Amino acid sequence: MSDRGDKLDRAIDLLKEPVTLDASFDTRVMSEVESAPSPRIWTQRVWTAIDWMTRGRTVTVSPLAGAAVAVGVAMVLLTGRNWISQDTTEPTGLAELAGVQFVIIAPAATSVSLVGDFNDWATSATPMQPVEGNGVWSVTVPLSAGRYRYAFLVNGDTWLSDPSAPPVLDDEFGRPGSVLTIGEL
Amino acid sequence: MKGESDGVLVRRVLGGDTEAYAGLVDRYRDRLAHYAVRMLGNTADAEEALQDAFVRGYRSLARCTDPERYGAWLFGILVNRCRTTGARRARRERLIVSDEAALANASVEHTESRDAVREAIGRAVAQLPPAQREAFLLKHVEGLSYDEMTRVTGAKVSALKMRVARACEVLRRLLNEVDGV
Repeated sequence: MSDRGDKLDRAIDLLKEPVTLDASFDTRVMSEVESAPSPRIWTQRVWTAIDWMTRGRTVTVSPLAGAAVAVGVAMVLLTGRNWISQDTTEPTGLAELAGVQFVIIAPAATSVSLVGDFNDWATSATPMQPVEGNGVWSVTVPLSAGRYRYAFLVNGDTWLSDPSAPPVLDDEFGRPGSVLTIGEL
Repeated sequence: MKGESDGVLVRRVLGGDTEAYAGLVDRYRDRLAHYAVRMLGNTADAEEALQDAFVRGYRSLARCTDPERYGAWLFGILVNRCRTTGARRARRERLIVSDEAALANASVEHTESRDAVREAIGRAVAQLPPAQREAFLLKHVEGLSYDEMTRVTGAKVSALKMRVARACEVLRRLLNEVDGV
């Protein structure tokens, strides 16, 4: 016999009896589920982007650059992972050219260009390439140590800055921009 | 779908196969409905809370970090939805019998039928404070361990044990007034 007592035990047994829901319950749930946004799209894009960005890097960057390289309108979702290699053991390489990868998530874009003072703000000099057709665009640019201003040009007419990077405070062109710092200046 | 694990079904849904979610609904509907009905005291509120939990579970499926334990993860969502539904209902109307004498009188009037006994037990459970009712049902009716209860409720084991003990004490006293149990 349980130490809870007979009446309580019998009550628990009755409370364990099965319950019955309306026969249309499953249909109602699935109807609402099918009209809800699919969790698939967000998941695939983010995990593809995380996987892509967590691959090894050869770039040596300053802490500020670590934030600045996190380029992309959706990158704010991808914090919390050490996705870029910050090798501070070889400072002599800072003056040398290094490949810096820029990323932007722009699923509706038909073209994206990386534009900055490193390419004299030429709008077609550095086109970005789609990654596996899932809305992620990327390009790798050889850059030496220094401070750079940049922006993204989407579909040839829409300028986007990087929300996860410091903004340009003195943009003489009046368009959005961000700051990338490579090396310890 | 019946032979597929939770993890397989979750991955199918995340892969775009929305219909696979029906397998998860079918698998956990009865178990979760049981808790919701006992917690909220009526089928209508329970269905509302459970449907909300399933839909929220679908929308948030990418945040289910252990797809093989989807059921436990969803149970946590349901517990929260029941809290919300219960609190909203408490503000809307007072359904429970708060007077022990009224409970005893009501039970005496209906002791001849088993349905009346169930009704009396339901009233007694409904008199428990929500946190005690939640802990009591999870432990003694749903059969969860205290570790599982901690994951589902967010409360510490010591607090849960205290709530269960107090709930049993109150129920034992209330049920002593009910004939036929």
